[in-house]
Amino acid sequence: MARINLDNSAAESREQRLGTIVYWDGTASELSELSGYSKKRCGDGRGCPLKERKGPFTQPSVCSEQMVECQAGNVREAVLIQHAPIGCSASQIIYNMIFRIGLESRGHKVENIKIASTNLTESDMVFGGLEKLRLTIEDVWEHYRPKAIFVGTSCATGIIGDDVDSVAEEYSGKLGIPVVPLSCEGFRSKHWSTGFDQSQHGILKHIVKKNPEKRQEDLVNVINLWGSDVFAPMLKNLNLRVNYVVDMATVDELAQMSEAAATVAFCNTLGTYLSEGLEQHFGVPQVRAPQPYGIRGTDEWLRELARVTHREELAEEFIAREHARIGPELERLRERLSGLQGLIATGSAYAHGLIEVLRELGIAVNGSIVFHHDPVYDSGDPRQDTLAHLVDNYGDVGDFVVSIRQPFQFLISLQNHNPDFILIRHNGLAPLASRLGIPAAPLGDEHLAIGYDGPVNLGNLILEILERGKFCKDLSRHVTHQYTDWWASQTDPGVLAKNPGLIWED
Amino acid sequence: MKSESICRVRYGCAVGAMHSAVAIPGTIPIADCGPGCADKQYAGLVFYNGFQGSGYGGGASLPSVNSTEKEVVFGGNERLRELIQASLKVMKADLFVVTTGCISDIVGDDVESVVGEFQARGAPVVYAETGGFKGNNFIGHEAIAKAIVDQHVGDYAGPRDEGLVNVWTELPYQNTFWRGDLQEIKRILEGIGLRVNILFGHGSGGVEEWKTIPRAGFNLVLHSWLGLSIAEHLREKYGQPYLHVPMIPIGSIETGGFLRKVAAYAKTDPERAEAFIREEERDYYRYLEEFSEFYAEYFFGVPSKLAVVSDSAYAAAITNFASNQLGLIPVKIIATEDPPEEHREGIRGLFRGISPDIPEVQFIEDGFVIEEEIRNSPRRPAIIFGTTWERDVAKEIRAGIVEVSFPASYEVVLSRGYVGYRGALSLIEKIFTATISASA
Repeated sequence: MARINLDNSAAESREQRLGTIVYWDGTASELSELSGYSKKRCGDGRGCPLKERKGPFTQPSVCSEQMVECQAGNVREAVLIQHAPIGCSASQIIYNMIFRIGLESRGHKVENIKIASTNLTESDMVFGGLEKLRLTIEDVWEHYRPKAIFVGTSCATGIIGDDVDSVAEEYSGKLGIPVVPLSCEGFRSKHWSTGFDQSQHGILKHIVKKNPEKRQEDLVNVINLWGSDVFAPMLKNLNLRVNYVVDMATVDELAQMSEAAATVAFCNTLGTYLSEGLEQHFGVPQVRAPQPYGIRGTDEWLRELARVTHREELAEEFIAREHARIGPELERLRERLSGLQGLIATGSAYAHGLIEVLRELGIAVNGSIVFHHDPVYDSGDPRQDTLAHLVDNYGDVGDFVVSIRQPFQFLISLQNHNPDFILIRHNGLAPLASRLGIPAAPLGDEHLAIGYDGPVNLGNLILEILERGKFCKDLSRHVTHQYTDWWASQTDPGVLAKNPGLIWED
Repeated sequence: MKSESICRVRYGCAVGAMHSAVAIPGTIPIADCGPGCADKQYAGLVFYNGFQGSGYGGGASLPSVNSTEKEVVFGGNERLRELIQASLKVMKADLFVVTTGCISDIVGDDVESVVGEFQARGAPVVYAETGGFKGNNFIGHEAIAKAIVDQHVGDYAGPRDEGLVNVWTELPYQNTFWRGDLQEIKRILEGIGLRVNILFGHGSGGVEEWKTIPRAGFNLVLHSWLGLSIAEHLREKYGQPYLHVPMIPIGSIETGGFLRKVAAYAKTDPERAEAFIREEERDYYRYLEEFSEFYAEYFFGVPSKLAVVSDSAYAAAITNFASNQLGLIPVKIIATEDPPEEHREGIRGLFRGISPDIPEVQFIEDGFVIEEEIRNSPRRPAIIFGTTWERDVAKEIRAGIVEVSFPASYEVVLSRGYVGYRGALSLIEKIFTATISASA
């Protein structure tokens, strides 16, 4: 377990803190073994260093700054400034849609996202952009009177070395609100989830109440994105209230995180830094349990949450009720779904959870793509080792590929497995599957598969999506692929990493 | 110093013009960029802008350097060389276009030399400097077009084909409706007897078509300003003349005039042009006649006063059609693409030419200011031709909204276009469907 140091202006990157890798392939059990998380082979709470297999061919990834937009940019009553050339702002468009749809689904007033760019140009690259940053802070203060201003950096400002921290501090004093610098240059981390950590670091350091005068013993921080309101109805059975963070939260809701009785996350990839920071610095315990996916995971998760919040009896009653309610429905779904084969291509811990759900539904999962792998999470607690939980309780995944959203590798995986459907969350991979005749279920609502209703929701979604195979199969007969015959004839998605010299052969 | 901050962005950066390469069939860009650049431009310009789809060479498929600290500190030449070589091995393309991003341009990588090595081997690779701080995707588009002409099409001293025209018009992907629009522009120009290098989109013959650029009799720049510098470049390079028509035609009145102008310039058979126009107008006006029943007596009211918030070219085209053919009343006109200073007077003139009683065009890029302008407009618009960003203010002032410009995140667009004869009919359908949908 590493100390989260809030004296530092930024979080350490994932690869420095957790040993994160973005390229690997083998079996899930092998990766779990090598990571040494549950087994604590490489010291208490530290994962083992993993050898990354990166090849010469790469397709676009996603950067940390985008994750800052989707976290800090989605805080209500706050404004995010992108200290950047205008191109970094193209993603305002996607995060605006996500924000609007999230607001709607949570019953808030729908409005445009509030992100402003300092709009740096060529001369700013030479003379520095801090004056433009000052003017932009004044603009957003004048226009919106926000309760907090976040300032995200960019590759350009990272290279020219603008001292954003000082300007943020200057304006925190001047305006009397938190002005929070977030160091999120894309080139600094190979995985975008570092952007989650940077946002959460800034929130922990500058926004969370330092000395809460009260505890809210029935309040649970739920670290999530913009998913539908699934946790509140569930936790109501334990007489617990939900504080959804970070997306769609108000600045005050972020501040009150230190008053909560516990913290949970829909996915460890997203929640690891904030949960640990809240525990270390504010004494809010994180629920050290498997994620709430599948019946087993949900049981274990609820029991641990109940233990931490002293509601064991309520939890047992709820669990019994839910088993009775969901059992027959699951049985019916299993009959219809068993014999199918699914392939998962999502973020890391989320994929571990989804594979468990699919297997509870009787669907075979022989292959999976995760966009990165954290050998360990920030707590270092083996009860949060999601990969081991999957392998130990649901069996191995024979073809487990770590690939940072690389369609060229995904092509090989799809050809190898020819699944009936795929599950995705991030953009970029489903289009390829469609062209190969394989339908995709996109899980834009990340809560769809959570809790006791999760398997039922997911099973029903899959039944709908399977029908779209008609569209995809027809399409697949009428498209030209952009990969060479040589590449398309490969069977190992990691072949170029193992033998990079191949690119120079005729 | 004056603030230049921008919220609610309405264009990509120069590297976003990698999508101009994507728009040439068979072409794949190589993003010499940080890890998020290509994804940002794609998600903004392509996906949440009409959900256009990137097809063959774009989206998450194109090769990308994904620069790390190593390339920042030690330079990226080595890594770029490796990626280009790997791209030739893994992907099939008629042409690869390397587009540089901020990192490569600030660090000062020698992209020219690296790409030059491949060109010397005869590999189909070109490069353009498109660092995001150098300008927006309009600027990047011109840089990429010139790069392909200079580095791949090359010199030409052969004969010229007077019946062949190169068309430089809307910016692919930025304009949500470019695919349908370009098809219609090609169709009507062919209608008057020209052969057309449309250069982008499904009507283009791809890189082979680009190689015939120097053979064309002339270049047609059909835009308020975009493409002029390309046409100038082609004039210098090939001695090729160009015709600049700043008003993109929507509807029969403007389209007929446009076709006659081009026919006269190209010296095509005037009878053929007239026959085509007659034929098109016959269909067009039958539809308009039928529409006129709705327009005349839909007694729950249809909006008259409109605001337009778009790139100058599309803003002009829509204002012109709405004002001169439909008889609507423009009350606020905002051009958002930051056109180069030297073209602004021309753009002002273009709008003044539409009608003496329309408001002066304003050049504004910041979403907050645009919203204030609409909210405080002395004459309140009943319908806004704008972007997703205007949805909130439209709701606030109870105006209708038609998303005609980037970003159009509430539109799913396939072949629909708004220009020419057929596009105008689609635009009418869109405007008045939006109006009725918003009622009880």
